[in-house]
Amino acid sequence: MAGMDLTTRLGAIELRHPIMNASGTFDVLEADAVLQPDLLAGFPFSAYVPKTVTLKPREGNVPPRLYETAAGLLNSIGLANKGIEAFMEEDLPRLAALKAPLIVSVAGERTADYGVCAGMLADRSEVAAVELNVSCPNVELDGRALGCDPDRTRRATEEARQATSKFLIVKLTPNVTDIVALARAAVDGGADCVSAINTVHGMALDPWTLRPVLGHGSGGLSGPAIKPVALRAVYLVSRGLDVPVIGMGGVTTAQDVLEFMAAGATAVAMGTASFRDPLLAGRLVGGLETLMKERGISSAAGLTGRSHG
Amino acid sequence: MAARPAQPRPAGDGKEDAVKGREAPGPAALHDCRVVESRPVGAYRLISFVCREIAAAARPGQFVMVRESGPALDPLLPRPMGIHDIGSDLISILIEPVGKGSGRLAASKVGDRLAVLGPLGRGFDLQKKGQAVIVGGGIGVSPLKLLARALAERGRSMRLILGFKSRDQAASAGLFRDFDGEVFTEDGSVGSRGLVSEPLPGCLLPPPEGEPAPEVFACGPGPMLSAVARISSECGVPGVRTQVSVATHMACGVGSCQGCVVAAAGGYVKACTEGPVFDAEELKW
Repeated sequence: MAGMDLTTRLGAIELRHPIMNASGTFDVLEADAVLQPDLLAGFPFSAYVPKTVTLKPREGNVPPRLYETAAGLLNSIGLANKGIEAFMEEDLPRLAALKAPLIVSVAGERTADYGVCAGMLADRSEVAAVELNVSCPNVELDGRALGCDPDRTRRATEEARQATSKFLIVKLTPNVTDIVALARAAVDGGADCVSAINTVHGMALDPWTLRPVLGHGSGGLSGPAIKPVALRAVYLVSRGLDVPVIGMGGVTTAQDVLEFMAAGATAVAMGTASFRDPLLAGRLVGGLETLMKERGISSAAGLTGRSHG
Repeated sequence: MAARPAQPRPAGDGKEDAVKGREAPGPAALHDCRVVESRPVGAYRLISFVCREIAAAARPGQFVMVRESGPALDPLLPRPMGIHDIGSDLISILIEPVGKGSGRLAASKVGDRLAVLGPLGRGFDLQKKGQAVIVGGGIGVSPLKLLARALAERGRSMRLILGFKSRDQAASAGLFRDFDGEVFTEDGSVGSRGLVSEPLPGCLLPPPEGEPAPEVFACGPGPMLSAVARISSECGVPGVRTQVSVATHMACGVGSCQGCVVAAAGGYVKACTEGPVFDAEELKW
């Protein structure tokens, strides 16, 4: 559409449109094999975030790991991953063919792990940015992620900051009393950007046995059901801080993208919606353009924070 | 996993090709498909929809992810459905309405539209020779129709054993009337009373001199698959292979979410891209 500028920036990283994927919801290397062989070149998202990797490989949680709830999805995958070394050896070289900036998501059990992982990636030219996942709810049953504690969040970010000069994103959990305090702790620790939100703690019971359905007991809720929770978090965090915010949590339609941007997001990430249609993101870009034009908004930059008044 | 080459069958070539084995699955894509058949089959419902691409590419044991077309967000995600049969441009699935998602799909009427992603997964390997022993339980009989057709086209001799809880479920045995099947029900209402595991040892006998060992193909509930795997591994006949198709909850169907894993000897494996068909000996029972 003539005159429309959908590009957006995360620091020095230019995105051709605002829609990226949320970690753990789109595996481009698998999709390249299953869906279409040219997906790395014709990638629908404007940046790619692979599944979070940890220092050591993780098997993940005992199944069942999934359960659908009203307009939502509960998962307890448990950070299943091959470990950062195998990721760097096997996946990173293949991801070099990707025609979109690569944001590697890392998680640790201790704050020091974040520094080690960020340091390992520091010299890799394929990596545009590092996301610190301090908010996975599926590691302990009580879901007490490191990202629930401002002090540990700040220290984990400091460790990573000292280890790399790459653009640093801290992914926030909504499972706290004051998400802005956590965002501030991340920025105090040296974060360039925060993303909000990770999944919301949840549980489902088997209708017959009345026992928890998920093998892990509880899990994280995603999908349209959590959109209002996410939208509020993005609104509060973007008003309270001077760093860009990546908004996520139930993004499914072009209207959702529009609203997350207006709430204060510089970019948005789509997660669960990719399970309805793995190539949805590409289709939403045109829809977003139309919605912006109808409202007389000509650029993504002019959309960000429009709700703040 | 390496990319597998697409080998679509030329459309409208007028010849009834043999059903392909799993070695050359086609590429998957999301299709908007019109329902052209919806009828009850006892406790289940048979739904057929038009999709030339999936019909051309699908292999026995593969599955599709199916949801209603349109913007409704509840149910949110597609449901994995084994491919029951294919025609020149038709795909049939058999649905057991157990929850909200499958219930809504089972209520699909002629003319409704479905969003269908597929074909997906690794189906049955049809390369071996030897007598095929096909064992199905409950809704797990669904993908065995396409398998039986493929084996018949390959000239494999076959024993087909279908087990159900009750008469309602056993009505689906009628979908297999082209084949000489044996029906078992737990309540004895149709066929023989008992479980499908009971006749299995008698099917797994040493082959005549120089002939390949029998091969078991199974799809059904976990306890049934577990019993089938145990019986065939303990049957004492060298060379018996058992392929099982597992059913798990899935979100993406394409290897992204890691939600559908099952326990294998070397750790968890994804039912969607590494299965749903596995060699029984690969899995932990």
